[in-house]
Amino acid sequence: MEKHSIVESVLDNLPVAVFAKDATDSFRFVLWNKKQEEVTTLRAGKAIGKNDYDLFSQESADYFRSVDKAVIQRGSLMKVPEEIIETKNGREVHLRTVKIPVHDEETGRLLVVGISEDITEQVKSREQLERLNRHLVQANEELQRTQLQLIQAEKLESIGRLAAGVAHEVKNPLALLLLGVDYLSQGIDPGDPNVATILTQMRDAVDRADRIVRGLVDFSSQRALTREATQLDRVVDEVLLLVKHELTRSNVKVSVRIEKDLPIVFLDMSKFEQVLINLIINAVHAMSGAESKQLKIRARAETLEGVVRNEGARTRELFRSGDRVVVLEILDNGTGIAPADAGRLFDPFFTTKPTGLGTGLGLSVARRIVELHGGLLILENRGKEPGAVARLLLPTKIETGKVRTVAQPGKIDEPSKKVDTKTKKLAP
Amino acid sequence: MARKILLVDDEAGFTELLKMNLERAGGYEVRIENDSTKALAAVRSFMPDAILLDVVMPGMDGGDVQAQLQANPLLARIPIVMLTALVDSTELSEGAVAQAGSQMVLPKPVNLPLLLRVLDDILPAETAA
Ligand SMILES: Nc1ncnc2c1ncn2[C@@H]1O[C@H](COP(=O)(O)OP(=O)(O)O)[C@@H](O)[C@H]1O
Ligand SMILES: [Mg+2]
Repeated sequence: MEKHSIVESVLDNLPVAVFAKDATDSFRFVLWNKKQEEVTTLRAGKAIGKNDYDLFSQESADYFRSVDKAVIQRGSLMKVPEEIIETKNGREVHLRTVKIPVHDEETGRLLVVGISEDITEQVKSREQLERLNRHLVQANEELQRTQLQLIQAEKLESIGRLAAGVAHEVKNPLALLLLGVDYLSQGIDPGDPNVATILTQMRDAVDRADRIVRGLVDFSSQRALTREATQLDRVVDEVLLLVKHELTRSNVKVSVRIEKDLPIVFLDMSKFEQVLINLIINAVHAMSGAESKQLKIRARAETLEGVVRNEGARTRELFRSGDRVVVLEILDNGTGIAPADAGRLFDPFFTTKPTGLGTGLGLSVARRIVELHGGLLILENRGKEPGAVARLLLPTKIETGKVRTVAQPGKIDEPSKKVDTKTKKLAP
Repeated sequence: MARKILLVDDEAGFTELLKMNLERAGGYEVRIENDSTKALAAVRSFMPDAILLDVVMPGMDGGDVQAQLQANPLLARIPIVMLTALVDSTELSEGAVAQAGSQMVLPKPVNLPLLLRVLDDILPAETAA
């Protein structure tokens, strides 16, 4: 008796949980010390005489039993570096356990004795550390990405400056040429029909050169956007007005479906109009051989899911799962995209159109403008149906930081009082 | 009475051709000034009804010329049409035209029919021929 109570009080004062199960009696618990009570929140009185299935979940009990059996079978000590038990109040306790087979010579019983150390705090701080480390890695990656973007932006800026300089120098002689053509056009010799043709071609040539130069500058321009809160349906209406002539002339039927109450987007109106015009004109060109030409414009709001796993690198940089975006699609039933061209569509000067019809700058400019808006532009085949779809993803919250880094400060909210860009669009 | 137009641009060929075109369009008396530093004097002596002003010029640029005109109450009311080979109109807002009130900006190459319409718009009816 004396001996027994000494052992018991030693066991109860150990800083580790100790228990024993009788393998010869359905693995019923025969020993359950104080620390084991604490860890499991189960009193010894409740546990002694019960087995794992009486006390723990089926899943946990299965696991404990399999380890116990292995210990008996091997007849030697086994270490379980980490096991988790869930207490009655739902708390998870992490344990490091050693299980030892003990043969009680006196009674002939075979016992599994377990000694568990509560390592919950250690695990918690390890997880914390891992989390911190992940954040650090992420921050570092972001930093590297930003640096790359900056280098890219710098390159573009010097190209931009060069392009703007060249543009200015080229536009002056073009201006002179055009005025010459204007003057000569008035005094055409009615006897020679070739003169009129020549002058028209000269005018077209000037116009083409001008467009290319402007496209180049647009492409490399790092200028600030003048963004304002905009309702997408209004932009679409305005753009359709601008291309109406082109659409009716080419016999294109248009259907517009824009979800009600779309979130506000932040757009530089004139630049964004340029994007939509480029995309619509491309669609019209692609449909030139189609029997009934159908242009569809669709817009809806979407919450992105699974971005990280499913999309390309571009999406990953711009959007995260859970982001609310506005998706605008321009669908045509034209030729679609040949697989061989798919990778090059957005390259500057890539065009499949005859000289004079395409500069090959439309898509690259459009993508740049969209990306300056923090958005994404994709062009792909519709899949089931013939034709292509241009898909625009626009963020619904403005990321001022992102915009301002490439922009000159103080330009974003400035109302566009100064120059009426619309004068350019007036037809003569 | 013909409407008097002063053309200020350092490109002699351009001004000459624009002058020919305006004169043939009819109703315009055009004077050319290729040296922007003399633009102010030209305005004083010619007293045009409108000024067509290049933006990028050696010496004084279009913005400087405009600022000088604006400083003189007698000359400030003469309407100015800026002609520019700068590509993007947003560029204008930073430099030359930033403080400008209500003048027009036309890109080069100049769309002649558009220019004629603009001139019709801004020139007061009573000075028209
Ligand atoms: N909606 C579309 N359907 C099929 N192909 C298209 C479509 N939009 C663009 N493309 C292809 O992408 C090329 C590049 O387009 P873009 O950069 O706008 O230049 P451009 O229109 O001047 O050729 C086009 O020449 C065409 O081959
Ligand atoms: Mg195009």
